[in-house]
Amino acid sequence: MLVILTFLPSLRAGDIEGTIIIQRKLTKRKVTPSADFYQRGAAVELGSDPDQDPLAFERSHVVIYLDGNFGAGGNNTAELNQKDRRFSPDLVVIPAGSSVSFANLDPIFHNVFSLSKAKSFDLGNYPKDQSRTVTFAKAGIVFVDCHLHPNMSAVIVVTPNRWSTKADGSGRFVLSDVRSGTYTIVAWHRSAGFFRKTVHVNESGHATVDFTIPLDEGGIVQQARQ
Amino acid sequence: MKVRFVTRAFLWSFIPFALLLAGSFWVIQQRVQRTVHSGLRSSLREAHMSMARLRQESELQNSRFLRIVAENPPLKAGLQLLLVNPKSGSARLTLEDQLREIAETLHFDFLLVSNPEGAPLVGVVRIDDQLVAMGTQRMKPPQQGFFSLGSNTYQVTSFPIDINDENIGVLSIGEHFDLSEFTTPAILAQSGKVLRSSVPNASPAELESALRNCGDQAECETQVAGETYMTLAADSINFGDGYTLRSLQSVDSVSRPVQAVVREVFLIATLGALLAAAALSFFSSRSIVRPIATVVSSLRQSENTGTLPSFESNPTTIHEIRELTESFTRAATAVRESRENLQQAYVEFIGSLAGALDARDDYTAGHSRRVSEYSCAIAEALNITGSDLEVLRVGALLHDIGKIGVMDSVLRKPGKLTGDEMVLVQQHPSIGRRILEGVRGFQSYLPIVELHHENWDGTGYPLHLSDVKVPLCARIVHVADAYDAMTSARPYRFALGHEAAMREIKRCAGTQFDPEIVLALLNADQAGRLARNTRDAEPGLRLVPVPKATGEAY
Repeated sequence: MLVILTFLPSLRAGDIEGTIIIQRKLTKRKVTPSADFYQRGAAVELGSDPDQDPLAFERSHVVIYLDGNFGAGGNNTAELNQKDRRFSPDLVVIPAGSSVSFANLDPIFHNVFSLSKAKSFDLGNYPKDQSRTVTFAKAGIVFVDCHLHPNMSAVIVVTPNRWSTKADGSGRFVLSDVRSGTYTIVAWHRSAGFFRKTVHVNESGHATVDFTIPLDEGGIVQQARQ
Repeated sequence: MKVRFVTRAFLWSFIPFALLLAGSFWVIQQRVQRTVHSGLRSSLREAHMSMARLRQESELQNSRFLRIVAENPPLKAGLQLLLVNPKSGSARLTLEDQLREIAETLHFDFLLVSNPEGAPLVGVVRIDDQLVAMGTQRMKPPQQGFFSLGSNTYQVTSFPIDINDENIGVLSIGEHFDLSEFTTPAILAQSGKVLRSSVPNASPAELESALRNCGDQAECETQVAGETYMTLAADSINFGDGYTLRSLQSVDSVSRPVQAVVREVFLIATLGALLAAAALSFFSSRSIVRPIATVVSSLRQSENTGTLPSFESNPTTIHEIRELTESFTRAATAVRESRENLQQAYVEFIGSLAGALDARDDYTAGHSRRVSEYSCAIAEALNITGSDLEVLRVGALLHDIGKIGVMDSVLRKPGKLTGDEMVLVQQHPSIGRRILEGVRGFQSYLPIVELHHENWDGTGYPLHLSDVKVPLCARIVHVADAYDAMTSARPYRFALGHEAAMREIKRCAGTQFDPEIVLALLNADQAGRLARNTRDAEPGLRLVPVPKATGEAY
């Protein structure tokens, strides 16, 4: 990321809140074909699309984070399971330095790999109840796929610091404990790309940022993958 | 059998004509039908071939597409996984799941992965719309061709699964084989046994025997359930395992409507031609027969009237008919002339006989001839002409022929006759009648001969008839006879003069004579038709007293 950061340390801390405004569908979601597999095995609920508000789905798939290497990274472990021939969850946000464990909960083999710049790996094929773990040291967007099932796909957003979150279904988000100062706040959506804004957290410790995704008519939509 | 000439002429012209027409129409129709049939058959074959070609092309396209399916990286990964973990149930399940997915997405009914040696590893098959896993242990599906599983038949094609030029297995893709996708009826058979057929109204046994007739021929024509079918073997794929697929097309059902039209057209043409032929024959036979019929009808008419026909005005311009009528006319004329001659000869003979009779006595010489002349004069005054006049002329000539049968001694007796002698003399009309009765053609003279002595008032002899009961000709001759008798001399008296005779006749009009005829006599006299002058010039003979007219004029 070639963004010049303005980092002004402050003794006081506050919240950044905001709303992601998405007014049209951005993602053409691929639904796993309803192959009634395992007819002879245990019944597995397949990846039928939940009756979710598509705009809520879009909003809940927007990651918001503060750009810049400040503060300590994380060393926690997130889970990204393979279940019902889908990655679950399909979007994981971790600070750089964290690990993700990939557990196969399906009765069939899965394979987890990524060719992304931020982290490229291939965990090979492994059957049910096995798990493999990968540590992500570098910030960036990591797309995760399965060799055996090309329609399985997940994204791990590795953020440079621990101020990151996902918006909820209504588009609301809160980044708490932000020290006062001026930041570049980034919103990322898999299809719409990056949206950057400058935010100033003052001493009262509160700032508000709204993103309209995609940009209004005439605006420039940035590329999703850099 | 009696056949009328017109019928005969009609039949002789119509039957050969009709046979010729019907025969040639039949032959032409057969030819046309054959040509149409073979034309239809060849166009059918072309259509059939082009359909087969299209099908072949689509199969080729299909095979290209299917080859892409075999180039499916996840599938390859799954197969590799299974090859690495041959005993792993999960690996098998993983591959099976991938096959299901492919089958679902691309709507295949049969997917099977085999190892490079051809041993089936994992497969799914759609049975009743449900994809189920195949028990692969005992199965030997073909790499290419048909595969029957239970009541379902699948058409299967196989493609190698390669990774980096290394063959790691075979993917067999199949679909339910359904004859309904053929635009024509088709038969799927295995080793001569019909598995499936979409030929309407045909039992498998009939189809099997039809297929046997075809043998190994790719294209052949065969009979199924009485219909002619052209069949074409689908040879674009090697089906293997004794499977044969044939598409069929009914030649009959294509050609039948055309044949029906051809037949109808020819039927109408034949009927029309026959009708025309019948009409022509009818008119020609009529035109041949009509002149003859005219001749025949005039002959029949002459047969009824008894006169010989004459064809003076020729009824026709046809040479032969004219010849016929002319020669007939000549013959008829000859016959008529000879008959007339004969008649003439008779008349002359009888006339000369009568003349000879008259000539026996000087006093009566020329009597018959004169009576005939006077009768003709009276008749002309009465405007009688033609054949009636001729009858009168001849009849008057013969009127006294009966005197042959009266003795000369009585006839030539000078002086008064006794009663017996009178009776003898009075028999001469009856005798004359008897003489002429037997002569054919003399019937018309008989009344004159028999009745020329009957009086107007019925006092005559022999039948005592009166007024108009006596035929006109006899009444005329009666007057003429009396006039001649009176104006002729007799041994016992002189002849009366013309005037006196006329007076006497006038006096007897209404008693002895028919007054009208007497009047006609007077008219004839005034016209100068009674030329009796020579006798009048013998005055010496008039000295005898005038006899009574009655009874004296024999």
